[in-house]
Amino acid sequence: MKHGAGRHWTRSLRFRLLAATLAALAVALVLAGLLLSSLFRDHVMRQFSQALTAQLDQITARLEFDAAGQPQIDPQTLSDPRWSRPYSGLYWQVDGEGPVQQRGALRSRSLWDAVLALPTDVLADGVVHVHESTGSDGAALLLVERSVKRDNSADGGGNGAVGTSWRLIVAADLRETVAAVERFNGVLAASLATLFVLLCAAALAQVAIGLAPLRTLQRTLAGVRAGTSPKLDGRFPSEVQPLVDDFNAVLDRNAEVVARARTQAGNLAHAIKTPLAAMSQAAAVALQRPETGTDLAALVEEQVGVARRHVDWHLASARAAAAQGVPGARVPVQPVIHGLLRVLERVHAERGVALRCLPMAPDIAFAGEVQDLQEVLGNLLDNACKWARQEVQVSAASLGAGPGSRLQVVIDDDGPGIAPDRRDGVMARGARLDESVPGSGLGLAIVNELVGLYGGSVRLQAAPTGGLRVEVELPGA
Amino acid sequence: MRVLLVEDDPTLRAQLRAGLQEAGYAVDEADNGRDGHHLGASEAFDAVILDLGLPVLDGISVLKRWREAGVTLPVLILTARDSWHEKVTGIDAGADDYLAKPFHMEELLARVRALIRRAQGLASPLLQCGALTLDTRSSRVTLNGQLVTLTSHEFRLLSYLMHRPGSVVSRTELTEHLYAQDFDRDSNTIEVFVGRLRRKLPEATIETVRGMGYRLVMPP
Repeated sequence: MKHGAGRHWTRSLRFRLLAATLAALAVALVLAGLLLSSLFRDHVMRQFSQALTAQLDQITARLEFDAAGQPQIDPQTLSDPRWSRPYSGLYWQVDGEGPVQQRGALRSRSLWDAVLALPTDVLADGVVHVHESTGSDGAALLLVERSVKRDNSADGGGNGAVGTSWRLIVAADLRETVAAVERFNGVLAASLATLFVLLCAAALAQVAIGLAPLRTLQRTLAGVRAGTSPKLDGRFPSEVQPLVDDFNAVLDRNAEVVARARTQAGNLAHAIKTPLAAMSQAAAVALQRPETGTDLAALVEEQVGVARRHVDWHLASARAAAAQGVPGARVPVQPVIHGLLRVLERVHAERGVALRCLPMAPDIAFAGEVQDLQEVLGNLLDNACKWARQEVQVSAASLGAGPGSRLQVVIDDDGPGIAPDRRDGVMARGARLDESVPGSGLGLAIVNELVGLYGGSVRLQAAPTGGLRVEVELPGA
Repeated sequence: MRVLLVEDDPTLRAQLRAGLQEAGYAVDEADNGRDGHHLGASEAFDAVILDLGLPVLDGISVLKRWREAGVTLPVLILTARDSWHEKVTGIDAGADDYLAKPFHMEELLARVRALIRRAQGLASPLLQCGALTLDTRSSRVTLNGQLVTLTSHEFRLLSYLMHRPGSVVSRTELTEHLYAQDFDRDSNTIEVFVGRLRRKLPEATIETVRGMGYRLVMPP
């Protein structure tokens, strides 16, 4: 495919396909990455906080109170060595609450001199809360807390404080967890990027393979244009083949039209040569014998008439040939008939013939070119007007409905009519029953040819008013 | 009767002019659509012969502009294209009649005669005024069946009056309709022709309406 300078890049099919695929891929992969990463982090954090809660349970179980009601935890009873190693990353702390506000009343050795800072919230008894916070050394911490209430009345003494609450906190360093999440994210991003690259390559290959037939088609078409091949050869994918078949049909029809046009031009040229030769001959004679001047004039007049009839006939045939095809054309009949009647009323105003158009449904239509319908009905109506004594009547009806329906137009005149045995003859080219009425004698022949091209028919009958009835049947729409 | 001829082909124009003048019409000409449109819109004519394939402004456009401007002149259109599609287009643009080239001069003259007559609301080609009869087809005037010999100017004058029986026709109107634009117009010549015509017709056929013009008197 050549890309001209004026061609905008969005016009490229390849670009459109690739852009759409790549955009969709990128969006899908980024979304998948975000989802997987967040799922993984959630999972790891849940595991971590479950482990911490188990530690909190252990601390809670080891919590005792001395005679003064102060909490005591014997570090010897805690198995994990990290409780006692300073800044080990695992800590506990007991805060006093309620009447006695005592932050860091009791702490693990691992906390050393630091105190865990907590967001203040109200805890119901026994409920475990999870927080993320920052430790004294700036590391991220996960904290779980629970409050316990000591019933002072049990030992009956002390300072008499009733229901002192204590908050138990266990915290652990998130450093390793965060590192694990980051490692996972790195691997995930790398895998998704690799997947993206592979998918891009696949998309490129797909577009190249998918569009290859178009390239072939273009080469074949260039061959047709260069004249090396009369039509598009070869098999194409089933999506492209109908296009190729249609194009070949157009090429065939073009060739046919060109051939017919050549034949017609040739016929016309030959047809006109004869009257020209006759006139030239007569002119040569007249040059030698000037006294035959009137004979020459008469001959020129006659031969010009002959030439004119040939020209008329070929023009009409050319129009008819050009009219072929145009599928889907739909011409409402009523406006066409009314337009023709307006012309005929003027042209035949002197004869005083009444032109009547019977009411017809406005949706009656002809499947073809408007000019052809005008030509057919115009010639027939004109003929009827020439012969009618007082009245010409036209009606149209649709036989059947939808595609394949037929259009029937009936034209009656009250003229002399045509005897049944002479009706076939008048449809022939140049046939004229009465030379006294002006006309080239081509009207009916042109009508016959046009109607024949549309696969219709013309029938001549006797009209109820005594004249001629012409019944035309054409494809309807 | 004065006719406007709008045709671009010089040969055909000359032939048409000769034919029309021979038939007793005063002829004004234009060889393109713009001049033709201007003449038709500003001068008084009894009919127009309009070719459709014209330079500068095509015939259909000229016709449409006249009709839009309310010019009701009878128009006969001429064209080499004689498909019915063209005929419908021409008539719907406001033409009164249609003639396809090539044509015979007699055919054209018959159409023009009929157009002028129909424009005056006269149905028959025979114009009658008492014992006086004018046959528009043969350009013959008879009085009680006897042929009256008239010069072409006298005939034009009588024909114009007989196309408008009973109505007063001013000298200016007569001058406008009997002579082409380039003719030396002098209303005194009208008086001379009326005088000559009166001598050939029965007494009091042409009445002078003082200060207004002339009237053809219809016998009771």
